[in-house]
Amino acid sequence: MIGLTHYLIVAAALFCIGAYGVVVKKNAIAVMMGLEFMLNAININLVAFNHFLHPNLVLGQVFAMFIVGIAAAEVALGLAIILSLYRQRHSIAVDEMDILKW
Amino acid sequence: MILSWPTIILEISSLGIGLLLLILGLVFTSLKSKATLGYFSIIALLLMLVGSFYLPSGATQTFINNFYVQDSLALFFKQLFIVSALLVNTMALRYMKPHTNNRGDFFALTFFALTGMMMMASAAEFITLYIGLELMTFTFVLLTAYKKHDLKSGEAGLKYILLSAVSSGVLLYGFSLLYGLTGALDFSSLVALFAPTSSPLLVWAIVMVLAGLGFKIALVPFHMWTPDVYEGAPTPITAFLAVGSKAAGFVAFIRVFFQVFAVYSPIFMPLLIALTVLTLLIGNLIALAQTHLKRLLAYSSIAHAGYILLGVIAYSKLGLSAILFYLLLYMFANIGAFAAVAALVINTGQDKISDLAGLWKSSPFTSVVLLVSLLSLAGIPPTAGFIGKFYLFTELVSRGYLWLAFVAVGMSLVAIYYYLVVIRTFLSGSVAEKTSMTIPFSLKLVMLVSVVMTIGIGVFPGPFTDYLLKVAQAFLG
Amino acid sequence: MSLLSYIILTPFIGAAMLVLIPEKQTTFIKLVSALFAFIGLALSFYLFLNYDKSLGGMQFVENIPWIKAFAINYKLGADGLSVSMALLTGIIWFAGVLVTWNLQERVKEFFIYMLILVGGVFGVFLSLDLLVLFIFLEIAVIPKFILIHIWGSGKKEYSAMKYTLYLLAGSAFSLIALILIYIHSSTLDVTQLALITYSVPFQKFIFFLLLIGFGVIVPLWPLHRWTPDGHSSAPTAISMLLAGVIMKLGGYALIRVGIGVFPAGAAFWAPLIAVIAVVNCIYIALVAMVQKDLKYVVANSSISHMGYVLIGIAAMNTISLTGAASQMFAHGIMAALFFALVGAIYNKTHTRMLADFGGLAFQMPRAATLFLITGLASLGLPGFFNFVAEFLIFAGAFKVYPVLTTVTILAVVITAIYVLRVVQQMFFGPRNPKWDSLTDLKGIELVPLVFLAVILLWFGLVPSSITNLINQGIDPIVAQIGGAL
Repeated sequence: MIGLTHYLIVAAALFCIGAYGVVVKKNAIAVMMGLEFMLNAININLVAFNHFLHPNLVLGQVFAMFIVGIAAAEVALGLAIILSLYRQRHSIAVDEMDILKW
Repeated sequence: MILSWPTIILEISSLGIGLLLLILGLVFTSLKSKATLGYFSIIALLLMLVGSFYLPSGATQTFINNFYVQDSLALFFKQLFIVSALLVNTMALRYMKPHTNNRGDFFALTFFALTGMMMMASAAEFITLYIGLELMTFTFVLLTAYKKHDLKSGEAGLKYILLSAVSSGVLLYGFSLLYGLTGALDFSSLVALFAPTSSPLLVWAIVMVLAGLGFKIALVPFHMWTPDVYEGAPTPITAFLAVGSKAAGFVAFIRVFFQVFAVYSPIFMPLLIALTVLTLLIGNLIALAQTHLKRLLAYSSIAHAGYILLGVIAYSKLGLSAILFYLLLYMFANIGAFAAVAALVINTGQDKISDLAGLWKSSPFTSVVLLVSLLSLAGIPPTAGFIGKFYLFTELVSRGYLWLAFVAVGMSLVAIYYYLVVIRTFLSGSVAEKTSMTIPFSLKLVMLVSVVMTIGIGVFPGPFTDYLLKVAQAFLG
Repeated sequence: MSLLSYIILTPFIGAAMLVLIPEKQTTFIKLVSALFAFIGLALSFYLFLNYDKSLGGMQFVENIPWIKAFAINYKLGADGLSVSMALLTGIIWFAGVLVTWNLQERVKEFFIYMLILVGGVFGVFLSLDLLVLFIFLEIAVIPKFILIHIWGSGKKEYSAMKYTLYLLAGSAFSLIALILIYIHSSTLDVTQLALITYSVPFQKFIFFLLLIGFGVIVPLWPLHRWTPDGHSSAPTAISMLLAGVIMKLGGYALIRVGIGVFPAGAAFWAPLIAVIAVVNCIYIALVAMVQKDLKYVVANSSISHMGYVLIGIAAMNTISLTGAASQMFAHGIMAALFFALVGAIYNKTHTRMLADFGGLAFQMPRAATLFLITGLASLGLPGFFNFVAEFLIFAGAFKVYPVLTTVTILAVVITAIYVLRVVQQMFFGPRNPKWDSLTDLKGIELVPLVFLAVILLWFGLVPSSITNLINQGIDPIVAQIGGAL
């Protein structure tokens, strides 16, 4: 029987994979993908908690919906900036973003 | 379900004016008519500010089911945000002119950021808090990257969105754990549900919320974005970030840690103290090595987050009112300093500290403004900064953290050193080749207001401390 | 608003007036600052005359609530100690403006910063609330940084920063002490604080913090490093104010707050102060002896002379404390005169190196006379007020620290040696044709010098007018010591 713990472990693993991706990936789009992993891990968390612990509430589901919406806005914003940067630099590697340091 | 619309009148008007500005930007076709949009936004903000003083401030009102409250704390912060938006938009009138030809959207965006901040001030539930936070953050990302053809601006925008997305991921993970543990997301239910005992999961949740909100107030080690974004963003936006975004982070921080997690203060306090000390040390010591004024002010703003957190560590009514007082004076001092930077950038296109040499000759007024603002940030009387630091340190020591006060005072000395380095640069220097600067009237007005307020609060702090003590008492009961 | 408020406000109003004058009109700026300096002097002299000696105690008290939430009041008051110090400030301010009459560079800013500085000094001497006192103390710091940095000479950048960081580091300690006192007693009113009883460990700790905080200003021996550089790099008028009044702020605050409020703490640390005082007197006097730069000699001699003040404070009895405060007054005038002379001579010769001088008495007899007068005052010759002050200090301190006092008297001998050596090297010896083109001091240059010298001699002839006044301020403080021990 698959229980709450399984969901939480999957979510935690997903969150960590996403965070790992954010840290090591050089391509800005890959970094955005890592961020999506992290946000979806939270959605799994919320929905799983809602289903197993508080089945008569819908709060977790609602929160998850909001997060999905905001994540979409975030990606749109991020991609717009990446596009604008690409036009000038012809690169989207985050480790080359080094005009600003110290 | 009763919706009490009057409680959110400020949010509605801010959002409405923002949308109106967007539409007007499309309707007005000639550049000349578009130029009026900035003035329109300033008048609208002034009206909002005046109107906010007529709102009932005493009793706590809720918009819906305790999810969204309008209490005196929220009102104070909203007024703070409106004043900062007002000063920032006035600063931007001339500054942003070369960067945009449809000027409506810039001012509209500042209103959306303002709406997000106001939501953070009033949110009494985690979903609302999150939405307000993201509304503010996304708008700031756009504003940071506003100078499309400036590599620095774009790079700062990208760094800001990536890092803030990570931080909100961490914050949300904390929220999801809290939801799992309690089944509630609104503050009043959470307070009722929290038991004095704690589980490891709960500690994790608190730590993650601390990290997520710590990002917004630039707490070390979540400060990495601050210097880059501050340097890359257009100067008025940097000022808005340093003042508005930080204050919004603090109001959320206050609500969450003074109200929701009050029972668990023994758990998070040691961590908070460690991070505060780290913030004070890193912020002030790295500032010593800076050669750009905006980056220096960025590190100084990190250090100031540390000073303000001393009030959270004191964890009392007086501590809270000291935080509010400090945020108020910090706003005027920072806006004054950034307005001086803006004057410099408009005239020379540079913001290196060495470019300030001869400022005393080329613009005596700007140099006085910068002098007063930096002295206030350094905490030298008769500016407001001294009273603010005295208030914070007194409350800290009375709670038994004498050693922490020594650390903070010692770090203030380091801060005085790097401010003095800036001060001596612009008060001396060769002047033969420097011609006098032209400073637009709007910028002069901003500088004048900030200087008058910085000295005014320093010389007559009484009314402000009285009022803020009342606010703190109303909030903590 | 009482007289004291007017005295404090005079320089600030003057600064505000100067802001309105266009910077090109330098003569007008100088006239306005001289006018305000004269008003300040007149008001402080009026205070000196109108202080009712038969009544004693705090007079002209003014108490306005300032920050109600903290119970901090804007409270002013003057006793004999404050009156004499305010008079000293007025005198040196006036002389300082006259000394700066020939300034050409950034005149307007110079006088604005100088006025703010003087306002801060008056505020310290006349305020009776510790927070207000501290604020005025801090107000005086930054203008000095700017004054030394811009109008100074030599390694001015280094000196200005060193001076400021030393003083602010000191005030960090006094700020912590202030906060602890406030938390303990919920007020910072000096007169009320004196009525509260404190536990002895608390007094010891607080007095230690205050000793560091105010000791930096005095300056106390290991914390004195800012002084020679600061004094030497500062422009003449600012050196006069630094040595004449700023250093006295430390001594004044130590007596008023340190001993007046925490007598048991003071008694505990007094032996340490006495030992440091001896180091100040002897060691720094020896340092002064080997200096090659005239201004460094005078600067080091100031530190050495403040050692007498310290031993007077350490002895903690009526005679020694009266002597210490009198010495602050006497040394204030004398040091100002010394720096004014050095500045005047430097303006002519453009050198301060002792080796460059020689036989100047031929070309500048008036300068030589004044210099000799100052030198004799500095080594405490009878007839000058300095003699009275030093005599009181030694008489008072001998009862408490016989050995240390005897050693300190040695410093007088060392002072005599280096002062006379300087006079001899500069003014006597064969006529040096290199200086033949020099004209003697005359006109406006001479006014402040003669003014200060006359005051020095006047109070030397009628010392009781000042010592009685100071004594009245000291008596309640000594009564406080008696009550505590």
